[in-house]
Amino acid sequence: MLKYAYNMLVYGTEPIEMGIARLSKFKYDFAEIVGEPEKITAAQYNQVLKKYNMPVSSIVSIYTPDRDLVSSNPSIRANTIKYIKGNVDFAVEVGAKIVTLTPTACMKIKPEVDLEQEWAWAVQGAREAAQYALNSGVRLALEPWNRYESYLLNRLDQSIRMVDEIDHPGIGVMADTFHMSIEDKDIPGAIRSAGKRLAHVHFADSNRAAPGEGFLDFTPIVEAIRDVDYQGVCSFELLPAAGDVWGVLEGGKAPEFLDPYTESSIQYMKNIEKNLGLIDAK
Amino acid sequence: MPNKFGLSTFVLTSPFTNDDLHLMGKVKEMGFEVIEICIEDPAKLSSVKIASATREHGLDTSICGAFGPNRDVSHEDEKVRNLGIHYLNTCVDFAAEVGSAYVSGPMYSATGKARLLSPGERKEQFNWAADSLNRVAQYAQKRNVGLAIEPLNRFETDLINTVEQGVELCRAIDLPNVGLLVDTFHMHIEEKSLSNAIANAAPYIFHVQVSENDRGTPGKGQVHWDDFFATLSKIHYGGQIVIESFLPTVKEIARAVSAWRSVAPSMDALAIDGLEFIRGMAVKYLDVK
Repeated sequence: MLKYAYNMLVYGTEPIEMGIARLSKFKYDFAEIVGEPEKITAAQYNQVLKKYNMPVSSIVSIYTPDRDLVSSNPSIRANTIKYIKGNVDFAVEVGAKIVTLTPTACMKIKPEVDLEQEWAWAVQGAREAAQYALNSGVRLALEPWNRYESYLLNRLDQSIRMVDEIDHPGIGVMADTFHMSIEDKDIPGAIRSAGKRLAHVHFADSNRAAPGEGFLDFTPIVEAIRDVDYQGVCSFELLPAAGDVWGVLEGGKAPEFLDPYTESSIQYMKNIEKNLGLIDAK
Repeated sequence: MPNKFGLSTFVLTSPFTNDDLHLMGKVKEMGFEVIEICIEDPAKLSSVKIASATREHGLDTSICGAFGPNRDVSHEDEKVRNLGIHYLNTCVDFAAEVGSAYVSGPMYSATGKARLLSPGERKEQFNWAADSLNRVAQYAQKRNVGLAIEPLNRFETDLINTVEQGVELCRAIDLPNVGLLVDTFHMHIEEKSLSNAIANAAPYIFHVQVSENDRGTPGKGQVHWDDFFATLSKIHYGGQIVIESFLPTVKEIARAVSAWRSVAPSMDALAIDGLEFIRGMAVKYLDVK
């Protein structure tokens, strides 16, 4: 039986209480929240989370150009490690167990120096952050992004290779079905090859809308997640169909991602679980 | 008429120039019947030389465009729009002179412009695209050439992402020689259903490009190929089917293509294995022996 969260990133600029109330209304197990603790603090979240008795599964880190673990500028690399550690502290304060990590700034698609050097910086920085996370009882989840959002890690096998090289219990791999729908040849196969390294899961359909809105067959994906004995949370990270995702969100122009997809996502996946006999068919 | 299978020059070399015409021998040897030539740099290509090489090698030709920042028919600056129109008219001349039925590609904007537009700005950009392409299409009519407009995924353009939006643009241009090019790579990101998207646009489907979900070898990934070919059969598609992928060295539209890693053992293997798969699907579903 899977545990579900919904990434509140897509709720944009609406007050967090509206989002958490929505997750409670549609019976989510967890909230997934954005890691910008200087904008919305742990105390602000905790006040609302307590009111709705809603736990937090995971912190989604936002990698802007000044948060780039493989920047050629050492002060940006240092700033990125500081940001990830800050998100680990934030996770501890709100009770989350996972912080996401992608080693490049979002939408940067070309290396600044050679790939081997950048790979080495990513391994080194991630290892330092993983040790900090482990000390705090948190795990980092290394997420590949599709070719339009990053260049260093696009497929799950690349993330697996990096995690193996980091070789630290404070970090595992993360599977996001939207990115995998563009980059991987076989999503269930990739999840199986991640095995015990699987630290976090994002669900979205092939068009980044709610499961059921696109091409993906989630049944074999759920079977693969079951087969690797994944104990973590599956969070819906849905985003609007635009290259400029941030602009859409700031404009609050994505109403279907509020109630409609929050409701349909969890229902759709629970139906799959029922059909597989993973939960009682009622 | 049975469908013919083609290979895009983006798989072979980029930019494709007069010095690369000998590659047609290789394309023919691989088993293709069509070469799709992308006009990256018109100054380095001669239609006379192309026509002579395709005759020599017994290949049909398809002409497509590459739309960098100075070939933008929906730009807010009229001068840039005119550069785009001029480039497209040049492509139409190439098509007419080498015997390609269409000029194809994402000709409504510069590839890689994926901004956030307000509905008003988007409408304005759409109207510029429709006006400019209407002018190109009128010229193309005189030369007996059609335009096959290609929707691109959200990361490559903000204007035409779905086949339905493509139909909307065709209707706004409102000329009979204007239709669509559908590409399975983009459709796999943007459509909810390949069959519905194609069936709903049936009269507009002029041209087809095939590519796997990761731009790798067709048949080795996630694209719903049976659904795709069954629908091409249903709409009686008799046109060319061209395999497209990109060498990581493509310059004109590099930001848009974002091809920085290899997706197949080699580009030759992608072409050869892809053709075998596509031919198998066509034998199963289309009028191909």
